[in-house]
Amino acid sequence: MNLFRSEEHARRWVLFNPQSEEGFITLSDLAGFFATESRHHMLEPDYLSAWFPKRGGERRAYLERIGKATPFWLGTPSPP
Amino acid sequence: MDRAFHLLMRSIVGSGSALHYAELARTLDLTVEEGRQLLLAVMQAYPIGWLHPETDYIASFPPLNNLPTQYRVTVHGEQKWFAQCGFEATSVTWLFPGTTVKVEAACLDCADPMIIEMRDGQFVTVDPPEIVGHLNYGFGPSRGRPPFL
Repeated sequence: MNLFRSEEHARRWVLFNPQSEEGFITLSDLAGFFATESRHHMLEPDYLSAWFPKRGGERRAYLERIGKATPFWLGTPSPP
Repeated sequence: MDRAFHLLMRSIVGSGSALHYAELARTLDLTVEEGRQLLLAVMQAYPIGWLHPETDYIASFPPLNNLPTQYRVTVHGEQKWFAQCGFEATSVTWLFPGTTVKVEAACLDCADPMIIEMRDGQFVTVDPPEIVGHLNYGFGPSRGRPPFL
């Protein structure tokens, strides 16, 4: 989960995984992905019990909104 | 467990490093071993963070990292934090409301610098403007080891 100066820089990275072409995300989409409601409450005393459990659902909904609801991004098994 | 999590998060936000379990124990008036067990329980409940292998030392407590990464975080001119990864770097802004958070990192391809500055979730600076995020193995336990994604 890294940042690169551009997509070309990522592809030139010596450890770039050729299977990860779908792994690119714009910086604005990335900021949105990490700005879901629960993220705004990380400093609250009940974050772990009240907010962290909501994180998975929020992430899924956001990925669907930006067209990345794929096994690669959702962390679900790939189809056989 | 909420109290322990909150103390750990507040400590890493405040000082750049999370409390050790013995310090956590003292703060909560527990025995050291109770503090250690509490830390293990917190990390189990917050599996996006992790302990350094074979230790009870917090390596990662996202969005920040106890172990240095290339994602150096500066707030109010002080560089004493590290983001867990490039993705989490964009959420550090939520730990410092009303403040500009600067993240500087060397590109893994060329080592040239990248800089993003954010304030309350909005970008203030993106240099170079073409910066992108990249997920090398996909999420999920079967696709890669989280510390190296």
